[in-house]
Amino acid sequence: MNLNKILIIALIAAIGFSCESRLELEPAQSISGDFATTSESNIQNILIGTYDEAGQGASHGGSLQVISDLLGNDDQVTWGGTFLSPAEIVNKTILPDNGFVSSFWDNAYEVINQANIVIDNIDVVESDVEKKNRIEGEARFLRALNYFDLNRHFSSGDMGVPLRLTGILDYSGDLSKARDNTSAVYQQVVSDLEAAIQLMPDDNGFYADKYSATALLARVQLYLGNYAAARDAANDVIENSDHSLSSSFAAAFNHDADNEEDLFTFQVTSQTGTNSLITYYASEQNGGRGGDITVNDEYVALFDDPNDERASFFYESPQNGGRLTSKFSNQFGNVPIIRLAEMHLIRAEANQQEGTSNGATPLEDINALRARSGAAALSSITLGDIHTERERELAFEGFFIHDAKRIGATVDGIPFDSPQLVLPIPQGELDTNPSMVQNPNY
Amino acid sequence: MKKLSLVFGLVLFVLGTSLGQRTISGKVSDSDGEALIGATILETGTANGTVTDIDGNFSLVISDDSESITVSYTGFTTQEVSFNGQTVFSITLEDASQTLDEVIIIGYGTSSKRNLTDNVAKLTSEDIADVPISNFQGTMSGKAPGVRVTQINGKVDAGINIQVRGIASISAGSDPLYVLDGMPLINQNESGNGAPTNPLLSLSPSEIESIDILKDASSAAIYGARGANGVVLITTKRGKAGKAKVSLNLSTGVSSPTNTVEWLNADEYIELFTEAAINSDELSYIEGLFDGLSNGTDWRNREVDTDWNEIAFRDGSQQDADFSISGGDAKTVYYFGGAFNQTEGIIVGNNLERLSGRVNIKHNFSPKFAAGLNLGMSRTTIDRVSNDNQFTTPLQAIAQAPISPPRNADGTPFSGTLYPNFLLEQDYANYTTVLRRVTGKAFGELKIFDFLKFNSDFGYDLSYQTEDQFRGSLTPFNSTNGEAYTSNATSENYVFSNYLTFEKEFNTTSYLNVVVGLEFNNSERVFTSIDAIEFPSDDFQTISSAAEVTAGVGTLTAYNFLSYFARATYTFNDRYFIKASIRRDGSSRFGSNNRFGTFPAGSIGWIISEENFLKNSNLFSFLKARISYGELGNSEIGNFPSRFLFGGVSYNKIPGIAPTQPGNNDLTWEKSKQLDIGLEFGFAKNRISGEIDYYNKETDGLIFSVPLPGSSGAASINQNIGVLESQGVEIVLKTDNVQTNDFTWNTNFNISYNQNEIKSLPNSSADIIFSRNINRVGEAVSSFYLPEYAGVDPDNGDALYYINGEGTGRQTTNSIGEAERIVAGNPNPEWIAGLTNSISFKGFDFSFTFMGEWGASIYNAGGRFQSANGNFEDNQTKDQLTRWQNPGDITQVPQARLFGFNGYGHSTRWLEDADFIRLRNVTLSYNLPARVLQPIGLSSLRVYLTGLNLLTFTDYMGYDPESRSDSGSGVNAARGQAFYSAPAPRTISFGVNVTF
Repeated sequence: MNLNKILIIALIAAIGFSCESRLELEPAQSISGDFATTSESNIQNILIGTYDEAGQGASHGGSLQVISDLLGNDDQVTWGGTFLSPAEIVNKTILPDNGFVSSFWDNAYEVINQANIVIDNIDVVESDVEKKNRIEGEARFLRALNYFDLNRHFSSGDMGVPLRLTGILDYSGDLSKARDNTSAVYQQVVSDLEAAIQLMPDDNGFYADKYSATALLARVQLYLGNYAAARDAANDVIENSDHSLSSSFAAAFNHDADNEEDLFTFQVTSQTGTNSLITYYASEQNGGRGGDITVNDEYVALFDDPNDERASFFYESPQNGGRLTSKFSNQFGNVPIIRLAEMHLIRAEANQQEGTSNGATPLEDINALRARSGAAALSSITLGDIHTERERELAFEGFFIHDAKRIGATVDGIPFDSPQLVLPIPQGELDTNPSMVQNPNY
Repeated sequence: MKKLSLVFGLVLFVLGTSLGQRTISGKVSDSDGEALIGATILETGTANGTVTDIDGNFSLVISDDSESITVSYTGFTTQEVSFNGQTVFSITLEDASQTLDEVIIIGYGTSSKRNLTDNVAKLTSEDIADVPISNFQGTMSGKAPGVRVTQINGKVDAGINIQVRGIASISAGSDPLYVLDGMPLINQNESGNGAPTNPLLSLSPSEIESIDILKDASSAAIYGARGANGVVLITTKRGKAGKAKVSLNLSTGVSSPTNTVEWLNADEYIELFTEAAINSDELSYIEGLFDGLSNGTDWRNREVDTDWNEIAFRDGSQQDADFSISGGDAKTVYYFGGAFNQTEGIIVGNNLERLSGRVNIKHNFSPKFAAGLNLGMSRTTIDRVSNDNQFTTPLQAIAQAPISPPRNADGTPFSGTLYPNFLLEQDYANYTTVLRRVTGKAFGELKIFDFLKFNSDFGYDLSYQTEDQFRGSLTPFNSTNGEAYTSNATSENYVFSNYLTFEKEFNTTSYLNVVVGLEFNNSERVFTSIDAIEFPSDDFQTISSAAEVTAGVGTLTAYNFLSYFARATYTFNDRYFIKASIRRDGSSRFGSNNRFGTFPAGSIGWIISEENFLKNSNLFSFLKARISYGELGNSEIGNFPSRFLFGGVSYNKIPGIAPTQPGNNDLTWEKSKQLDIGLEFGFAKNRISGEIDYYNKETDGLIFSVPLPGSSGAASINQNIGVLESQGVEIVLKTDNVQTNDFTWNTNFNISYNQNEIKSLPNSSADIIFSRNINRVGEAVSSFYLPEYAGVDPDNGDALYYINGEGTGRQTTNSIGEAERIVAGNPNPEWIAGLTNSISFKGFDFSFTFMGEWGASIYNAGGRFQSANGNFEDNQTKDQLTRWQNPGDITQVPQARLFGFNGYGHSTRWLEDADFIRLRNVTLSYNLPARVLQPIGLSSLRVYLTGLNLLTFTDYMGYDPESRSDSGSGVNAARGQAFYSAPAPRTISFGVNVTF
């Protein structure tokens, strides 16, 4: 071989490989954010992403419900798990670096930001006004759901959570944001839901629809003490949504697909979504950790009729021998967020408070629930009876702390308005947001 | 080819005849008398020369007025031989490694140690041989000044952290660039279980000839944007001309944990927890728990007393077998090697087996053209255990109650333990990682002129890793009749380098060497994985048998670099040196506006001892001063860090998208500027020699994943923030203590000081706090940031903390929330040192290496479970028995309160100094004398006994001052933290080494 030829070949190869255009590489698994908000199909895609975010285990996929019930635990359950964060919560010795608390906070705001991006760019959806309205309504619903739960858990007196209503795409600027007024946050929740009710269709498959929003509004109004509004919203759902109570109490839970009682769930399959309630409430056989949360005799004693299906809706953990709720036994079952049963309870309580009987009398509503579970009908009813029925029906679904605060009950001897029953602003938020102020007691 | 040699010969002939001429001849051999084949003989100052033949003989026609010849051979000291009337010569070349004049690999060329103006640490195969450890990085520990090598923990596959001159970056990669025979290596951790593995486990220490670590900017600048963390140049073994040398090494060893921690026995456990329960009014609860945990055994009479340490650990072992044949003739040199390593870790269920082979061949087609191939391949199989933050990792067994039996009477694991019994995972699950690796380089070298050489290298690196996990129906938390995971990670990297080397000596006083080149490097990674559940039975373990596939991943990513580089070295009068280099790197990793970076460096050196005023000094035999300055980059920041990205997600099997990364168009390289001032010296005929270096490294535009307020909807953003300054001193001292025929004793000591300090941060230098660490101006990177523990209130047994607030300084509180956090320690050491002594007496060799670290702290994140005065039911360290019991008790351990959360918050209570001195390696060997061996046809036979980590001197209370947690590797993960982390193994190995 001629040496010059070797040299020439090598030089040609060297130069050929040295083309600077080779440096242009594009990521394969991602698209540029600048491009993500410019097409109609991508706005719809971001909405789907928002549902996925909202249903994550850290918040509405289960941990939020666990936080609410452990914080509000008045001897209904025992926490026996090994995780530190829930242990802090049930003991009311929460530190600002609590992992459950910060994960819930972060996740809720991720949902809010994604919903904001959808709402900010809704005008990109041009093909069909109904589609545009639906997408906006769903985004507002998800935003309202998260602001409501954030504010319920983190607001202290007038100090609500920071209200961010514009999607952040550019993170290079100043991102600090002070806390907004507690009532301003609730007002935003109500106005988002009212708008969503107008925008969404009556039925929307497993996504949120008009009645999901109406039902959430009923829950919000009840929490805020606006009984007439709560009653009317709940009544609207019961009368018009085409939903009905499941044939039995057991039939109301552990669905792979939503049933007639579900007004809104987060969807879980073996491939997508997470049901964290399973993690803490179920046996290992059912995909849990063996029963980190066991149900106490004190809770079972609430039932007044041994035939009440709810009084025995439990099973024994093969791991720790404790009593586990049967509400969460399908590892890949959907996470219930709003059931029709809650609407009956809201209507009953609100009618009782208002001295009205719109739609039904309180007694009729309560007996409807009792009848479904095989419990004897009551003949008369007090506000206290309605609260007890609520606890029988909705336990472990994330209502304990909020009902205690609403009713003014003590939790483990701690007064309902104690700062101990308010979650701390996560340390990470305080460290990165100079305008943030910590709650009292932390 | 023939034609050329003809021309070449003709030129010589013409040269020869045109002047007065004569012929000289001779033989070149090494100090052992072995002939050196292919040594170069040059008529000094001319291009006239020849090479020695297979017997080491040469003859050369030279001009009449010539006075000397220059004899050179790679790896040996070049010698100038004056004629003094002689015509026949017997020339003995000194092995370069025996003198100050080692050959140093500097990237795209070599230099002699004497002429080097850079700071490069060199280790040879002798330094790394005989260390009974399966990864080559571990062999460097304590031997290279300023280089800190830590294996994350004692698992055989555990990741390795190497810091060259301290930490130069906060969140970009801090690993040095590894270059194998000129080929940048893939060093991507592909572990799927959360605990990083060491991707370079694929390389057998036995195939390495030398490791050169480029530490200062002047040396590393030739690697530009990838040099900021230092560069580790690995050179594999190659043949030397001469008859075939066959070498065989066999060794076998046993290992055990360097240290264990003492836990409560059954008696103490019951005592402490009964007390804790009484203090919290939970007595009936705890007795019920004891009933359950003891599995029906009589705990009141301490029927079961399990030491879970003994269940989690075992005696490990290590087997090595290496084999090589090397040799060659004047035209071809070859090396064939194979190695086998089998390591059983000290952790139950953790094993490694590696098979590797290597072929290095080089052939001289003509005096002008040579080409060759280096090819290495290996297959490494690792049986893995879970990461440190899983119940199923063996070491978490230490949390179990000693009253629990590990197994039932029928031998199956007891499943009623406090936490999931890792034995269930051990018995019913498996996790195997197989790492296959091919690294090769084809190269050609063409001498265009005697002074101009062209090199073309094509390197290829393939890393192909599969992971297979099966968890049977009886494993903890399994509800789906078994689950399986399989993954396949393929990374390919090729590099094409072409460079010209100009090398010329001008009238014996000046020497100029210029390298100019071009390099293209492309890397691609494809990853796929599948998860599946629902198996017919535990006998079916592969995905095909699963009824339901639950997740699939398929990703593709890539990066590349295009680089231009140049380096010029000029030597004057053999004592003045000047060097300059520049590299221009472009990479796909950076935005189009910042795609290229330029990295210049320069250095000067002066061998003062060559000057007349020192030449005859009795004190100095060698004295050299050097100074270098340069700029380097760090591009280890992932592949698309600047981009604003949305990625695919799904909800109820409907596809969607979500933001995955905030964008930053301004993102650019981290630049580090480094100044190095060094002095090399030799006293008493170099019997005492050494080096002192001072350096100052300033990293500008640090890339940091800056945490964002959670309420903004994103967790962090990649930014170039702030400045980090790191400075230090390195001292190397080598002494020949005794030098007689029968007895030699050398000492090699190195000590390095490194201190880093953050100079500025973004947002007006606001603190960046993550986990239990802080980056704060004026403090070291990732300093610990914790409330300060103040001991126990003697009156009531409450844990106390210093408030450390304004005006409340040293007042204490029992509410941790009231205590301000303080900067409480540094996760990295300030001082590291190594001391190696080598003693030879007749046929015996004895060497030992001590290493040490000072200034680092370790936070035991498991402390709140392990040493928390019985807060949870976890077994406690023995020191918890000194808990507060009665008013007036003075102790550091608060009153035991089950679920009382008394002193359990993260605080300095579990932060400890991790200073240590460790007897890293001891080797005793005996070389059988030649008179015994020759009759049986062996050229050498050596038996040796070697030990690793034999002794450790430390006040650290945890398992090991070198072990850290392997879980949590994100940028915001805690630093310097231990969490059920396994200690390093102590290994004793016996081996035999034969060559013939």
